Amino acid sequence: MNRREFLMASTVAGLAASTRFAAAATRIDMYTSSDANVSDFYGNVVKPAFEAANPGLELNVVIARPQAALDAVVQRALAALSTKSDPQLDFIEQYEPTLPAGGIEAGLWTDFGKAGLKSYAAVNKLAIQTPYGLPYRGSQVLIAYDTTKLSKDKVPKTFPDLVAWIKANPGEFIYNRPDKGGSGNNFVNRAVHEVSGRDPLKFTVDNYSQATADEVLGKTWALLGDLAPSLYQGGAYTAGNTASLQLLAQGAVTMIPAWSDQTLQAIAKGVLPETTGLVQLTDLALCGGFSQAVIPTNSAHFEGSLKLADFLLSQEMQTAIIEKLGGFPGVDWSNLPQALHDKYADVIPSSIPTFPAGDWTKAVQDGWYRNVAPNISRT
Amino acid sequence: MITASHPRAEGGGLSGLLLVALPVALLIWLVLWPVLQAVVGTVYFPGKGFSLSSYAFFFTDAYSLRNLWLTLWVTALTSALRVAVAMPIALYLRFRSGSIAALVQSLALFPLFVPSVLVAYAFIRVLGPNGIVDTVLVALGLPKLPTPYLTPAGPIIGLVWERLPLTLLLLLSGLGRVSIASVDAARDLGAGGLTIFSRIILPRIQSSIIVALAFNVLGLFSAFTLPYLLGPASPEMMGPYMQRTFSDNADPLNATTQAVITFAFCAAFGLVYVRAIARGRRGPA
Repeated sequence: MNRREFLMASTVAGLAASTRFAAAATRIDMYTSSDANVSDFYGNVVKPAFEAANPGLELNVVIARPQAALDAVVQRALAALSTKSDPQLDFIEQYEPTLPAGGIEAGLWTDFGKAGLKSYAAVNKLAIQTPYGLPYRGSQVLIAYDTTKLSKDKVPKTFPDLVAWIKANPGEFIYNRPDKGGSGNNFVNRAVHEVSGRDPLKFTVDNYSQATADEVLGKTWALLGDLAPSLYQGGAYTAGNTASLQLLAQGAVTMIPAWSDQTLQAIAKGVLPETTGLVQLTDLALCGGFSQAVIPTNSAHFEGSLKLADFLLSQEMQTAIIEKLGGFPGVDWSNLPQALHDKYADVIPSSIPTFPAGDWTKAVQDGWYRNVAPNISRT
Repeated sequence: MITASHPRAEGGGLSGLLLVALPVALLIWLVLWPVLQAVVGTVYFPGKGFSLSSYAFFFTDAYSLRNLWLTLWVTALTSALRVAVAMPIALYLRFRSGSIAALVQSLALFPLFVPSVLVAYAFIRVLGPNGIVDTVLVALGLPKLPTPYLTPAGPIIGLVWERLPLTLLLLLSGLGRVSIASVDAARDLGAGGLTIFSRIILPRIQSSIIVALAFNVLGLFSAFTLPYLLGPASPEMMGPYMQRTFSDNADPLNATTQAVITFAFCAAFGLVYVRAIARGRRGPA
């Protein structure tokens, strides 16, 4: 088919598609800017199940990557709110509800506490940061290790034990550069927590001060710098989450920090062997986070959007999030089958600490490059 | 090499200008204008006046200087290695023909069609820890090699392989100017291989080598993917360093300063390239 024919054919197809949508009862425009594993999950798992369970509703999965594209869509929704027009946006799978600035005050996001969701009471209380976001899936950084080299009962369970293990087994641990992926980043953040009294609440988005940073981060660099000679190749750091997983898969190292969802998915796909073990630190867990879904109050299909939110919290979808996406459930584990609970017992967190974005993260990442990364011993 | 044309003394001036107008306009819009913006934006701050503080910071900051030195060092070594590796292949291809030469040529040009991300992951699989090379060595009862992955040698090996074809093509085009008759004549007079290379061939391809080096330097200075995926966390090459300063540290001023400094180095090598071209046009040395 030549170019002209292609253009004509696609125009005809487009017209046919738009009339079909016009004929369909209700189309919910759902947006995501998450990685391909998440958008695939929506297209292949959520969409068919949701449409089967709700006749007359159609789920339109719109991929808005990168984040800036989604930001523009949200700005449009905020503008539509003031002009009372259709924002052409019904649901965002993951968005920071405190954005855009002034959005909550203007009444842009739906308050889930008051929206009357059937399953809202089941949501994990640890995960709710604001009622304007619905934490329906999460993931957390864990320690992944090779059970053929290290038996399950000898795995370090606290940060001091982990440090001792790394020093006793030089070359067997690696984490990635903190700005290149969350697994290494949250390992470094955990070191910050370790030297500051294991209290994640000490660090918030708006309490950065140079004096505190100098004191706390100075100790962190001392701790991590001391660890460097015992790391893989005497102080090498991979360029991302995947590169660390690759070194673990190739048997080059015994232990790495890793995202729970990436690791579980890698094991399920055979990228990592079945013999990969996972463990969470018990003195204070490594950081993680929940994805918060948001619904604009001016959504043209508000009732349908709420149905989607409720559907995502259903046992069926929450189980799929664990088994197909490798994520953590947004609902409390007590609402899920016991068998599932037992299978993932090692990785169920008792707490999910977070580390604030903004000045703290900038200081940690750039400081790490200047103070920790150059300490390399190639002997 | 580009041969000098013979412009007509008159007429065709306007149509000639129109022909170059589009590329020149694109150059001004997409290259010169942003460069000017970057230079002005790092020294002049509306409402505050002129300041060279971001440059002062760069040239007094040991961390930034170490990154710049690494970039210069990797660039110099990689350029030299590329020419050194490409030269024997180019000589072979110039003076031999037949099916084996054709095979060598297609193998040597193959990297031209491989994206650098694939090069990086293939590298990790082959030369990385417990990779194919290690597997073969262990099977032969030999000890494993220390892997170049995540060391400064990693990006150098990757970069040499990745852009070898361009260097090879430039050298081949230079060697095209070496007549086989003159090589045969020298050989008849009893000159050895080394003498032929240094007295007959090298003088004829001098400008090609300079052009190849200049091209390499320009590409290497802005290398990103391979240093990022294969190199050590620190020191960083300027490409990854600029990206990190801009997006992770949210510090456009210092990122732009780094870019201007990088651009200044590249412009200097660009000058070398332009002079080599000009000399090539006047006729080979």
